[in-house]
Amino acid sequence: MGLRSFFHRLTAPPVIGQSPNGPCKMVCVVNHGLKMGKGKIAAQVGHGAVMATMKAGSLKPLFVEQWLATGQKKVCLKGADADHLLALEQLAKDAGILTTLVHDAGHTQIPSGSLTVLALGPETDDLLERITGELKLL
Amino acid sequence: MASTAEHPSMVLIARKDLKMSAGKLAVQCSHAAVTCTVNARKTHARLVERWMNGGARKICLRADDLGTLQRLAGQAQSAGLVTTLVKDAGHTEVPPGTITVLGIGPAPRRAIDALVSDLKPY
Repeated sequence: MGLRSFFHRLTAPPVIGQSPNGPCKMVCVVNHGLKMGKGKIAAQVGHGAVMATMKAGSLKPLFVEQWLATGQKKVCLKGADADHLLALEQLAKDAGILTTLVHDAGHTQIPSGSLTVLALGPETDDLLERITGELKLL
Repeated sequence: MASTAEHPSMVLIARKDLKMSAGKLAVQCSHAAVTCTVNARKTHARLVERWMNGGARKICLRADDLGTLQRLAGQAQSAGLVTTLVKDAGHTEVPPGTITVLGIGPAPRRAIDALVSDLKPY
């Protein structure tokens, strides 16, 4: 950390974000059109989860705090293909949900740059349900 | 810029004997990944930053049983690496309290390879 950001951290007012009004979860939608092995899917969902957590950590810290404290509930769902994931992302964004797209570096199994996972949240159960309620469990 | 081989890495070691579905496995592994990252940021902030900048490399490996997982966790801890054992709440598929996944890292590639080089990818 640089000196400037160090001082900033000391003197900045505490982040007071919006606080969640109910239990939170994270939803990961996997691009099921790609033929990925189980381990590959697990690693990709891991990328999504970590990236989403970091993003929310700076934008919606109270959501992350509550989510981590209550067992970091995660759900993994099936998406049809890349277009489906992008459509869901747009819906989620419009609803004010934080979204993260995972593109694979393509070292193994699939072409480089493929869209593998859409991570949503951490966000309240109700709001996520509206976007992803129709999707099947992976 | 360091070469790719120098970037830190994270391994997620899952129990093969539990026969988890793809979704269950993914969720358990991401529990491990998130917990490791959150914990490592408190103690190894620079390492986490380098890991993220290097593409946040993650590899999912398989272990035969709980014993293997616990042995590896012990070895990783004595090597001073960030480790997390994920205990499932048991809402689905496995009984409550089952240890499903071991997460190690982010840590230097060499330190991780020394521990898990004989494991196969999941």
